[in-house]
Amino acid sequence: MSVTVLKRTFSIALMVATCVCLSTASQAQDKQLLDLEKDSLKFGFIKLTDCAPIVIAKEKGFFEAEGLQVDVIAQPNWKTLLDNVITGELDGAHMLSGQPIAATIGFGTKAHVITAFTMDLNGNGITVSNAIWETMQENDPALQSETPPHPITAASLKPIVDEKLDGGEKLQMGMVFPVSTHNYELRYWLAASDIHPGMYTKSDIGGRTDAQVELSVTPPPMMPATLEAGNIQGYCVGEPWNQAAVAKGIGVPVTTNFDIWKNNPEKVFGVTKDWSDENPNTHLAVIKALILAGKWLDATDESGKLTNREEAARILSRSDYVGADFDVIKNSMTGFFYFQKSDKREMPDFNVFFKHHCTYPWYSDGVWFLTQMRRWGQITEPKPASWYDEMAKEVYKPEIYLKAARMLVEEGLLAEDDIPWDTDGYKEPTSEFIDGLTYDGKKPLDYLKAHKIGNKE
Amino acid sequence: MAFIEFNDVSFGFGPVSNRYEVFENASLSVEENEFVAIIGFSGSGKSTLISLLAGLQKPDFGVVMMDGDIVQEPGPDKGIMFQNYSLLPWLSVVGNIDLAVKQVFTEMKVDERRDYVQHYVDIVSLTGSEYKKPHELSGGMRQRLSLARTLAMKPEVLLLDEPLSALDALTRAVLQDEIIRIWEEDRRTVVMITNDVDEAVLMADRIVPLTPGPSAGFGKSFPVTLERPRNRATLNFNPEFKKLRNEVTRYMLQINADAKALAPVEELALPNLEPRMPGKLPVQSPV
Amino acid sequence: MLRPTPEKTKSTKVPFKYRLVKAVDVAGLNFLTPVVRLCFGEEPRKQLKDIGLYIVIPIVAMLFGVLAWFAVSEMVVTKSGKLPNPTETLSAAGSIWDFHFRENDKLSAFEMTGAQRDARLASVESRLAELVPLEEKINQEVAAEGKLAQERATQRVAALQKKYDKLKTKLDSESKEREQVLKAKSESVAQDDMAAKKAYIADVRAHRKSLEVAKDELRDLKSKIKTLSDLKDDQLAAAVRKQTQIAEERQYLGKMKDQLTKANRDLKVTGALEKLDLDMASFFDAEPSKMYAAASKVVKAESRIAKLKLSEYAKPSTLPFQIKRSVLCVFVGFFIGTVIAIPLGVMCGLSKTFMAAMTPIVALFKPVSPIVWLPVCLIISSAMIPDPDKHFLTQWMWSLPILGKYQINPAFLASACTVALCSLWATMTNTALGVASVDEDHLNVARVLRLGFWDRLFKIVLPSALPLVFAGLRISLGVGWMVLIAAELLSSSEGIGKYVWDQFNNGGSRSFANMVVVVFVVGIIGLILDRMMVVFQRLVSFDDSPTAV
Repeated sequence: MSVTVLKRTFSIALMVATCVCLSTASQAQDKQLLDLEKDSLKFGFIKLTDCAPIVIAKEKGFFEAEGLQVDVIAQPNWKTLLDNVITGELDGAHMLSGQPIAATIGFGTKAHVITAFTMDLNGNGITVSNAIWETMQENDPALQSETPPHPITAASLKPIVDEKLDGGEKLQMGMVFPVSTHNYELRYWLAASDIHPGMYTKSDIGGRTDAQVELSVTPPPMMPATLEAGNIQGYCVGEPWNQAAVAKGIGVPVTTNFDIWKNNPEKVFGVTKDWSDENPNTHLAVIKALILAGKWLDATDESGKLTNREEAARILSRSDYVGADFDVIKNSMTGFFYFQKSDKREMPDFNVFFKHHCTYPWYSDGVWFLTQMRRWGQITEPKPASWYDEMAKEVYKPEIYLKAARMLVEEGLLAEDDIPWDTDGYKEPTSEFIDGLTYDGKKPLDYLKAHKIGNKE
Repeated sequence: MAFIEFNDVSFGFGPVSNRYEVFENASLSVEENEFVAIIGFSGSGKSTLISLLAGLQKPDFGVVMMDGDIVQEPGPDKGIMFQNYSLLPWLSVVGNIDLAVKQVFTEMKVDERRDYVQHYVDIVSLTGSEYKKPHELSGGMRQRLSLARTLAMKPEVLLLDEPLSALDALTRAVLQDEIIRIWEEDRRTVVMITNDVDEAVLMADRIVPLTPGPSAGFGKSFPVTLERPRNRATLNFNPEFKKLRNEVTRYMLQINADAKALAPVEELALPNLEPRMPGKLPVQSPV
Repeated sequence: MLRPTPEKTKSTKVPFKYRLVKAVDVAGLNFLTPVVRLCFGEEPRKQLKDIGLYIVIPIVAMLFGVLAWFAVSEMVVTKSGKLPNPTETLSAAGSIWDFHFRENDKLSAFEMTGAQRDARLASVESRLAELVPLEEKINQEVAAEGKLAQERATQRVAALQKKYDKLKTKLDSESKEREQVLKAKSESVAQDDMAAKKAYIADVRAHRKSLEVAKDELRDLKSKIKTLSDLKDDQLAAAVRKQTQIAEERQYLGKMKDQLTKANRDLKVTGALEKLDLDMASFFDAEPSKMYAAASKVVKAESRIAKLKLSEYAKPSTLPFQIKRSVLCVFVGFFIGTVIAIPLGVMCGLSKTFMAAMTPIVALFKPVSPIVWLPVCLIISSAMIPDPDKHFLTQWMWSLPILGKYQINPAFLASACTVALCSLWATMTNTALGVASVDEDHLNVARVLRLGFWDRLFKIVLPSALPLVFAGLRISLGVGWMVLIAAELLSSSEGIGKYVWDQFNNGGSRSFANMVVVVFVVGIIGLILDRMMVVFQRLVSFDDSPTAV
């Protein structure tokens, strides 16, 4: 018996040997292949450049290396995406950080959605129409330059808002979803300059109570068209839709969320808790592939130049992925940002997919979103500080992330110091906000109190 | 008692205020195996008579009896042949006959039924057109098909509603002979409606004129005592034939004149207009 | 007794020509009738005239349309791009096909084995090698063209820019000067001289006003400059197009290489088998204490191999697949609608009471737009199938032989139901009309034959109503097809509608042309569906009444 086995082994070894010289199949051998519960998956995404980790994991074979076959399907808007994940139509998706939290606490559709992977940092911008930009320039002579100094606050927007209010009108701006980063960032930016963006109340789920500027929901890819049609005068959205406004000449990005909060968390990879419980190994395999995709995206050469981003932009410009023109996607992906056609700036950290321990699911990120939900009244009752911690722990699952990372380190695909092994899940307090306030995830109530506009407890 | 009894029948249309009485106290009896031709002017309620006999319509007063039974509803025993054929246009020749046969002879087996249907197709000389649809048939062929369907039901009485009125003279002659031939093969009671005196004399045992409507009734009967088989070629020179024909015709004209004299004058004066063709004249035929 | 004569005898009677003409007519291709007749030499002059009328004129009109399209596409320029002209549309259609074939290639590469795979790999690699210098060259070309385009743009606006600069400096200096003058003048105005003060304020007002006017002029000039400099540079665009083409091919070949090597199913299975043998060997050598662990390793490896063998490449949806899925969806919806509409229509036709009961309901729901039905259907269908991966209904549908690969899911069902709800009314009203207006004579036949209710329904009423029913079905299918595209767009059920929506969302330079391609795809499929129904309609129409074309 053992002789036949040996013979067979030998013949197969020969066969494989011939293949190995063509391929990297040998890599698969020291990989600890997980015992997958499910090997063909469907992930949803919205046409934004920060879906890159999922697309790259598929196109560059990181999913396949884990034995997964993944369908990546564009979704029309965030609501449909979330619903499809909850109903099981999709196994997982590229989600707004606020979505798993809001779903878990029951704002909007209630379902226990978790995340074990933060997809990226930064990547959003606020764009205003050409007319608003011109008036802003008139209000603030410092802006009357081809390359105005940054950060640009909403201070020069305030007179426009007031003038409109006097005329019985409210400025209209677009954001992508009630619990999206964009909503909170736009509100943060406006409120930092004493413009009230409106409160959510039990009866007002549109968030327009007391608003000086009215915010409305528009799916990201629709933003430029809606701005061009004049339904909104500005918007906050992810890439490539700010660069698209520049390319089409219909608007001017005034600031990025990097200026509003440096290295803020943006998208997460969300799945339902039930799915994760039923497919623990599959979930691990997915996280492994995503970590590697993030690492691939942030790979640099000795000079610090991002080496793989151009290829990533090329892949993302395929019409079944983001589909915007390569040039438009390339701008922000390769570390540049056009504020106007004449104002191209280097922004190496505009999209961060791996650096700064960004893929780790930080509790403090979850708490920040919870504070914003409370600040603007989406959470209608005051909560104790412990509740913030509990909720963040319900949604963010670093234990899964660390398990996946550990396997990658053992396989030699990840360095030991790529991962923050010993953290308690809370980042150091930071005051790198546009208004200079300090945020400490462990003291959410203090942070709430520090703001001028919005709920204070 | 006669085979068919039409006792004091009244029948009319419309509401009481504006009622049109087709029949008023009309009576008729037909003996078994008798061939009766009902003759009348158009509008004298001939088709209504057939409907009443077939049971498709019920008299307002009086009864229609058949074989000692009151006629309540239509059925295959009262084989009616409609004036406009009433063929089912989506069925072929065979299909039309087969539908009737299947319904009447429920026990017949498939093979047997096929032969039976074919027999009737042959009888009416439609052989070769079995799978044609009615719209592919000529008027005469449709008429024959309608006849075949009625005959195939083996009805106790044949009710023929102007069966030949829509045909040209030649076809008509052929079919007249055909109907007589079939009737002679298998004598049944026949009530035939016609507006042609020659036809009535040629075919029937007895001719009953309908007095013109409204409130029609039956006039006096004319028995036809001519020898059968009657030869249409020689008949024209037969004095008895000529006499009968003249008598009937004269009688018909007489009752019509009476009716006209009685009826209220409701003639509409026609406007004095000369119709003209639009466009240029003369019209050239298109190339 | 004569046997029933089969069709043959009949056919031999009808000349071939007329059978052909009839076939052409039944197929709804009446425009070919004169051609057929001409081939048989029948009245050539008349046939030529008909050909001119029914074939030549439509073709000429289409040519005119294409020319007009060329002309219009030059004039319609939006910020989202120019209206694509026919050539661009054609090339967009080409690239859609390319994408489709490339994805199919990747699929077949994933499944390739042995010598075939080696051969394919060799060809892919040689092409890749060819591409490298090409890519470098085109990159340089694009960079050079970019610079040139920049220069050209600067040249284009140079005159205007000069004018603008001149005007601006002039204005700046002038306004400064006037400001100085005004400021100086202020000193000469006495503190209590109201008239002088009023005059002064009027001066300032005039000054501001002239400033505004000048600013407007400047703004005008600037926007003109902007439009000029933003003009699409054809040479650059051509270079970029070529670059994109090459880059895309490289992308594709790179993925092909992966599919033929490390991602290849056969190779993965081979590798896993080899590992299994090693595991097996270590199991045989294992001490009793480690035997369990070794054995379970073997079992795990075995199950992984079984899974690997069944694994399939996750191919993205391409337009041809989406078209097929849309057609399937419209038929499913059409079928559902028909199954509801025909019985209801028959009942309405048979019973006046039922008709009276249904009339308000029909009148109420008939005008409801698909946009309203869809979310309702979507909510219901996702509530009915809570977890599509495990639900028995979806499981069953996915296991069906042909339908299985179309992944029928709640969104698909919702779209189909929307189609059904919007399209069933035409069939229903037509059926009711058809049933209610059965020829009295035919009903008399039924009475004479004493047909029972069902016989009367199936042998007399329905056959007689069939032409009208089919006319209704034809309208329904047309409505259904139109509704479906909108429904898919909203439900994001994989299909043509979703393709259009994705393209709109892409907002890339090629998206517009892709959408125009879809316009034609939708039109052609709608036409085919309609023709199909015409053929059915003619087959069931028992008289020679012409069908509306």
